[in-house]
Amino acid sequence: MKFSYSWLCDHLETDKNATEIGDALTNLGLELESLTDYSSYSKFVVATIKDFHKHPNADRLNICTVDDGTKTYQVICGANNVKKGLQGIFAKDGMYIPGTQIYLKKGKIRGEISEGMLLSEKELNLSDDHDGIIELSDNFENGTSAIDALKLNDPVFEIGITPNRGDCLGVRGVARDLSAKGVGKLKPLKYEKITKLDFESPISWNIENDNNSCEYVISRYFKDVKNTVSPEWLQKKLISLGLRPINALVDITNFITHDLGRPLHVFDADKVGKKLHMRLAKPNEKILALDNKEYILDSNSTVIADNNNALAIAGIIGGESSGCTEDTKNVFLEVAIFEKDSVAKTGRTLGINSDARYRFERGLDKKMVIEGLNYASYLINKICGGSVSKNIDSGKLDTNERKIKYKFDYFEKVIGIKLEPKKQINILKDLKFQINQSNEKECDLLVPSWRNDIENNIDVVEEVIRIHGYENITESIPSPSDDEIVKINNSLINKKFKAIKKLKKILISNGVSEIITFSFHSTKAHETLSGDKSLKISNAISDDQSFMRNSMIFNHLETAEMNYKKGYKNIQIFEIGPIYNTSQSQENILSMLISSQENTNTIFKSEDFNFYYISNLVSRLISSLNFDAKQFNILRSISNTFHPGQSAELNMGKKLIARYGKVHPLIIEEFPKLKNSYAIELFFENLPIDSISRTNSSNILDSQFQFSEKDFSFVFEKEQNLFEVQRYVNGIDKNLIKNVEFFDLYESKDLGENSKSVTFRVTIQSKDKTLDEKDLEQIHNNILEKVSYKFKANIRT
Amino acid sequence: MDIKKVLNEATKQIERCSSQQELQNVKVAYLGKKGKITELLKSLKDLSLEEKKSTGAKLNSLRTDIDNLFKNKFNGLKVKEINSKLKNEFLDISFPPPNSIPSKIHPISKTFDEVISIFGSMGYSVAEGPDIETDYFNFSALNIPENHPAREMQDTFYIDDTDKDNKPYVLRTHTSPVQIRTLLNEKTPVKIIAPGRTYRCDSDSTHSPMFHQVEGLFINENTNMGDLKGTLIEFCKQFFNVQNLKVRFRPSYFPFTEPSAEMDIAYEIVNNKIHLGTGDLWLEILGCGMVNPKVLENCNVDTKIYQGFAFGMGLDRITMLKYGLTDIRSFFSGNLNWIANNGFSIGDY
Repeated sequence: MKFSYSWLCDHLETDKNATEIGDALTNLGLELESLTDYSSYSKFVVATIKDFHKHPNADRLNICTVDDGTKTYQVICGANNVKKGLQGIFAKDGMYIPGTQIYLKKGKIRGEISEGMLLSEKELNLSDDHDGIIELSDNFENGTSAIDALKLNDPVFEIGITPNRGDCLGVRGVARDLSAKGVGKLKPLKYEKITKLDFESPISWNIENDNNSCEYVISRYFKDVKNTVSPEWLQKKLISLGLRPINALVDITNFITHDLGRPLHVFDADKVGKKLHMRLAKPNEKILALDNKEYILDSNSTVIADNNNALAIAGIIGGESSGCTEDTKNVFLEVAIFEKDSVAKTGRTLGINSDARYRFERGLDKKMVIEGLNYASYLINKICGGSVSKNIDSGKLDTNERKIKYKFDYFEKVIGIKLEPKKQINILKDLKFQINQSNEKECDLLVPSWRNDIENNIDVVEEVIRIHGYENITESIPSPSDDEIVKINNSLINKKFKAIKKLKKILISNGVSEIITFSFHSTKAHETLSGDKSLKISNAISDDQSFMRNSMIFNHLETAEMNYKKGYKNIQIFEIGPIYNTSQSQENILSMLISSQENTNTIFKSEDFNFYYISNLVSRLISSLNFDAKQFNILRSISNTFHPGQSAELNMGKKLIARYGKVHPLIIEEFPKLKNSYAIELFFENLPIDSISRTNSSNILDSQFQFSEKDFSFVFEKEQNLFEVQRYVNGIDKNLIKNVEFFDLYESKDLGENSKSVTFRVTIQSKDKTLDEKDLEQIHNNILEKVSYKFKANIRT
Repeated sequence: MDIKKVLNEATKQIERCSSQQELQNVKVAYLGKKGKITELLKSLKDLSLEEKKSTGAKLNSLRTDIDNLFKNKFNGLKVKEINSKLKNEFLDISFPPPNSIPSKIHPISKTFDEVISIFGSMGYSVAEGPDIETDYFNFSALNIPENHPAREMQDTFYIDDTDKDNKPYVLRTHTSPVQIRTLLNEKTPVKIIAPGRTYRCDSDSTHSPMFHQVEGLFINENTNMGDLKGTLIEFCKQFFNVQNLKVRFRPSYFPFTEPSAEMDIAYEIVNNKIHLGTGDLWLEILGCGMVNPKVLENCNVDTKIYQGFAFGMGLDRITMLKYGLTDIRSFFSGNLNWIANNGFSIGDY
């Protein structure tokens, strides 16, 4: 919310300057967002266009001769309101233009010299108006400072109002809060109540019984008014908010909205029927609003209507057809209470952010209805003349004020510092709470009518500490208890984060960089990877982010491609993050992508990236978490993300632990540069990282006796799972077989289409003695026999 | 028999040798079974006892001397031969290694780690919740009813699927729903932090549709606002590594805390760089407050006994502040150049 220093001083008697007030506002929870001080605008001066002619090289530009009182300048100007004799605001060469944030530089525009600039309101940050250059209505001497000409000698505050503080959406409410903080004294509202209400309003109200949002409405009819340009004081106030003065009637309602935080509306009484209704809109009922847009309503919205048409959207915006213009003779003023949720819902549905809606949906001071009516009547009557009708109303004005029994010691329990009941009471009194009864322990409070947000003891505690000051809360650091430490040590999630750190370290030391990509999928990725339909985002920002991802591989391929275009040839990236199977199923996994180009370096022949490299890396990742990949079941992966012949998955029981291999060529078609791409998906959350009985990663025991190695070659069926063979051989003699290492795989026509030859080396060692020839031969034969029998394998010699 | 002559002769012959083989032949000629020295030793048996003694000693000394000569020569020849072999094995040591991008940890990972560790030392364990949340957990349970203006403060992504209340799922707009999940699942007291991904439909240099937050929640019998202040100041001192840290807490509003506060850290610009902890300018760091009793009641916590505080801060934001990074979008760009320049190598992680 915006207001000027002088406006605040209409309500607050204070000796504090703008900066001090700004600090106080922030300490009250009315955060100062900006304090605009126009003192630097004194360098901009009033100047007159003496003459102008068309720019020879540009249709839209004019060459103006501008007089700033000391000399004349040639200025190229593109504004459409350029005319001879126009008085505006002039900036010279070298001056900083706040609205565009640039320094003016003398130079040629399309071949013609320009020595300065005539400014628009936007260029001075006074409003968003960029339609033309400022045109001063009064006459000033050329050279007069812009501060005087535009009446800018008044600092402007902009503060952030949190949703609970609807009471501060008027300058008076802000002044009231400042006075409670001791920054000044609240002045009484200065206006005279109109007592001469001498005729009945020809227009009357009917709140229909259809669950519409209106609780109460009150009005007056103003006869024979003269709607004019607003007086200067009123215009100045609106300009200070960045609002453009329109005409007195409209300006008065805007002023009261911002001064008292009380929105109200004026109808041109001759443009509406004699009976006005508060009712729900008809389905698809249309209304052309004051913002010149047509809105189509639904039957949840409340409208103000006459017998024929909807005239306004209740609590949000008036209609174009019934608005007041300079020709308006008779006025019907409406002040109402609308239910806040209903206003919020309609406003949101229609996408209208009006000053009225903003205030209604935050809840209004019900007692301000009559005050607003009286204040507006006074201003209309004073500025526009005419006579005023008696009140006409409908509904019930229920100002049932809230009572709270407040316990003083609750403050200390929540805040942690002592504050005597007397001091608490004083603060509450400053905030205009009514204290009805009090003793040492508690008191009965009556909540001010404007504080709809205060309902219970904790709300009162907040008020007391807000005024007492957060800076007075004594800090303490609670030290961790033994229970808490035990809990951390046993926490599965803490253990998971430790595991994640290990995985990251392994990957970094293998040359893989960590990236973080969005949790989204493009429509294309979603379709390519067959994501679940429950992952669609209803209000996505763009097609690239329209689904939740069910894999990271597509995002990583996009990342790899982007980096490839930047000149990186070998891309190794990983991410640890969420993927989503359905809207209700999320998994956190590690996903890694290696995308390499052919190595042309004849000196540094780096390790080839292929399936087996990836397989080895998976094994190392898993062993860093104290599991042995070879203990898991290995299967060919059936995921359509991977090459069917060069991908695998490891399972522990029914749980998928890892999936890895070459990325499916169909996916790579989208990324032709990334042909040689391999991916790993490690589902580390499926590993029982908590279990104590971890598999020993090897059964090598320290023995002082000599070991012996023997190579075995077998011809297996082509699809024989070698993980099984390895586990089987290891188990033939657990005491003596220390290691089984596979080191050769050979396939050829000679062996037959369905066969493969595999060689492995077995390390044999006893912890009790050096084995002799006889012992060894026995084991060797045992292995040959058992393996060939178990797997129907032929021994190769 | 002239021992000296034999020694001279042997020395000459040994020195003349240019290969290990040649030397071996000479060695056999002297010390072999039929070598000169061996023969001489054999001839001792014909001598008198006295002569045996004196000549024997001389001969033994001669044998030791010659043996040493052989050993030295052997070593010399070995070094020479290896050296000549090494000459053929010289590589071009100046051939430049290929340029590879240094692999780094993402700065957010480092922040995650530090946050978990700092709060861990204060007794906070880590909790989690899903990114796709129900309307109830993300809003209603946190005292943000439908049509509440606070919902408009957060631009929410909705999912095209509905929960059991027939409300569309949302992408959590903050980590606060983890407060609810934890309070419903765990017994009080509760002391947790919950770092994770959060989402709002917003995108510019300071906003990203996805970002990271950490939630904190401490519910106990007497946890008060002084504890809240102390805890957060201590965290910031450790995280930003600033001992004299000027901060302020100012009143704010969140539906799920009351009283609510925002914490600002003082800063100043020194040599065009942000210097945290001192100065007259303020940077908002986080939102916090005492958990609203309505929220605790929604989680069946007895508010006559329990109370506590909660806080939430942007992890991307504190990371940007700590390391002087300016554009949040670059965090999620996957640009390896950016990671290499702004990430952390294994020793720093």
